[in-house]
Amino acid sequence: MSELAIDTTDLAKTYAGVRAVGGINLTVPRGSIYGFLGRNGAGKTTTIKMLLGLVRPTTGSARVLGMDARSERVAILQRTAFVSEKKTLYSSMTPFELVRFSRGFYPAWSDSAVEKYARLFEIPMKQRFERLSNGNQTKVWLLLALCQGADLLILDEPTTALDPITVDQVMRVLAEDAPERGCTIFFSSHQLEEVERIAEYAGFIDHGKLLMEARLDDIKSEFRLITAAGSSLPAQTSSQVLSVDVEQDFYRYFVTRDAEGFAAALSRNGATVTSIANLGLREIFLQLIRKER
Amino acid sequence: MLFHINPSSGVPIYAQIELQVKNAIAAGAVKEGHALPSVRKLAAELRINPTTTARAYQNLERDGVITTIPGGGTYVAANVPRFLKSEKLRRLQPYAKQIAVEGVQLRLTDEDILKIVEEELAKLAERVGDRK
Repeated sequence: MSELAIDTTDLAKTYAGVRAVGGINLTVPRGSIYGFLGRNGAGKTTTIKMLLGLVRPTTGSARVLGMDARSERVAILQRTAFVSEKKTLYSSMTPFELVRFSRGFYPAWSDSAVEKYARLFEIPMKQRFERLSNGNQTKVWLLLALCQGADLLILDEPTTALDPITVDQVMRVLAEDAPERGCTIFFSSHQLEEVERIAEYAGFIDHGKLLMEARLDDIKSEFRLITAAGSSLPAQTSSQVLSVDVEQDFYRYFVTRDAEGFAAALSRNGATVTSIANLGLREIFLQLIRKER
Repeated sequence: MLFHINPSSGVPIYAQIELQVKNAIAAGAVKEGHALPSVRKLAAELRINPTTTARAYQNLERDGVITTIPGGGTYVAANVPRFLKSEKLRRLQPYAKQIAVEGVQLRLTDEDILKIVEEELAKLAERVGDRK
């Protein structure tokens, strides 16, 4: 069995000559929680649809739970729960009916999970889906996804319509229940604080390209923003220095590793290092995207 | 014990947990034999990834701060911590540097800077004393 829940090779999609995803290589370890980050239109949803076999890649391939996303699509869908960004369902059915309808498709379906999450998320189970608020519609999707007993949970912007209390409940469920079953969670989000909390790995996508993929703790331990004052300091980028801002005699370096060593070298060049700052995910995200422009 | 983490601070969450356990011990708020929440329970409480709490506990255990009894919970260890003095000093050095740099930038005198560290030590000694 593959150690990777998701493994893509140069996966690409072009719509009518426009490149949506430009050859990305994702590696998502089994049992991990992986945050997939990018701006609107970066290619997140197209990537997810290719993983699920809902969109045919132009080139490249994807393996999901060790299976080929194109030829073994049905087997993948049986073991993968998906919460789409567009939360439409059979609108005249109630959540209760949707549960009855869905459970037959999934051999590992759990009725006790239905009860648990219906109560936890306070879902009105007897009201027609179309009458539910956006937030409650999202909760129904999450409920259906969580009860499938899936090995892989793919969530596309799962918390967008939810209030903070419900987001907090969802985060607790993702932190506790899914890892306990060894379920892999792959989720896209703009909510960087959530990703920072819960994800072990993060992938950053922009303009259809994967800018970086790494363990979050490693990124945070290594990435630093160094500000220094001096004249004629180095201003070229490298694999260690992702970007440099210069304003008169001030230089700001976005450094990916060995910040102390880099700062020491600056000092030897006569610079005064005024700050070596840790970076939150928001700043790292902005720096990575900016560097790409 | 209670934890609070700030996911956006730039400090890895596992390091925040480690520091809070060490602070609690240094301040005498938890003592030898005090039970810590399980990896899973703490992860659920803080809404964080269980691998993050596991990593914090592994590091604390490696440092001799806590002991885990297989199937029996996690406890504050006896005689924490057992580092060589050189190792202890190495760990403290970045903080000392930060105090020195900040102090000089604020144009404080060396005496002022040393005095404020001494005051913090005195406060700690007082608090530990209170709990004995």
